Amino acid sequence: MLADDIAALLPRMRRFARALTYHREDADDLVQIAMERALGRSEQWEPGTRLDSWLFRIIKNAWIDEVRSRTRRADLFAPAEEGEHVGDDTAQAHQQRLALQKAISLLSEEHRLVVGLVLVDGLPYKEAADVLEIPVGTLTSRLARARDALQQLLADQTDKTRRTP
Amino acid sequence: MTFSDDTLMAYADGELDPAERAAIETAMQADPAIAAAVARHRALRADVAAAFAGILDEPVPARLQPRTRAPAPASAPAPAPVASLAAAREARQAQDAHATRRRWSWPEWGALAAMLVVGVLAGKLAPGGAAPAIAGSGSQVVAQGELAVALDRQVGGGGHGGSGAGAGAVRIGVSFAARDGRYCRGFAMGSMAGLACRDGDRWRIPVLAEAEPEATGGYRQAGSALPPAVLDAIDARIAGKPLDAAGEAAAKARGWRPAP
Repeated sequence: MLADDIAALLPRMRRFARALTYHREDADDLVQIAMERALGRSEQWEPGTRLDSWLFRIIKNAWIDEVRSRTRRADLFAPAEEGEHVGDDTAQAHQQRLALQKAISLLSEEHRLVVGLVLVDGLPYKEAADVLEIPVGTLTSRLARARDALQQLLADQTDKTRRTP
Repeated sequence: MTFSDDTLMAYADGELDPAERAAIETAMQADPAIAAAVARHRALRADVAAAFAGILDEPVPARLQPRTRAPAPASAPAPAPVASLAAAREARQAQDAHATRRRWSWPEWGALAAMLVVGVLAGKLAPGGAAPAIAGSGSQVVAQGELAVALDRQVGGGGHGGSGAGAGAVRIGVSFAARDGRYCRGFAMGSMAGLACRDGDRWRIPVLAEAEPEATGGYRQAGSALPPAVLDAIDARIAGKPLDAAGEAAAKARGWRPAP
């Protein structure tokens, strides 16, 4: 049954949505909207094509239609101190994950989409291009620029940490 | 032979055909710069994947499941179709409010909530059997022990405690004057986060919630993952902007009594 196949993809949908929205509640709201749309127009899915790509496209469209606000809350609490757990590998890995999620949330929407599809979900270029409805060549150059931007954001974060006493 | 960075990226992502792959592998052996570029692309890909990997293991909230799998009980209001994120949020809040109203009148719910919160959460606030950080007082929850001390004394923003950074250490977040003039301070402690508002000589705790676990399951930050209930409580009370370090110091000097 299609609803079961869709439900099985929920963890990946939530992960992709988190790469787009950063906040857990916003990401789950986005997935809920996408689920409503997907189940409401399930006849539009063509059997034999990839269900995951179809669902990601619905999430992408829902995101573009609906969201794009609500960053204020992220600023209410200052980020926690750096360096508090220096020497603790687990904490450092944790900090790195947070830093990456934060950096991705600062990318342009276009870049977040390609990063979410290719680097977070691991879709092949062709499938990612299919989700975004763009040619593979466009996807490739957009992904390269997104990676550059992400590396730059991460380098900026590292600089800031070093300068903070 | 030279390759564009896009091609090296595509190689790192496993997107090239066998002939192109072989050419790049030959070039990588001859030119350390090419090998380094490929390694950089691979490392970023692995790091990004790792940063989000934990989400796959999180339980999927019931509200996201297709309805045929998780039918709502007949007595509950049917979830409204979602048209927008704002509507989804409102619907969720309305439903929560409805559930509360239906079961309890206010005073008894408040008293019960205070008892439950003290009983259930005190342990989470004070792992390892330290003195409880909160206590019930009538229908209210007030801070005590290490939490009360931190709320009284910690200033300067950032929230690093003077009492060390153990698992039970209190982190003070945003401090602000509420619309009624009283000071409120956000805090995180152990796996919990909440809001404390000054009431006479005490810190009353109108909201306390389990902090969202990060992808690893470990709770370490007061920053990025405040529970929505706490954020909503801050939004509902805050008058103007949060206090800066000087404002906090001044408020502390007045014993956290409202500014004249």
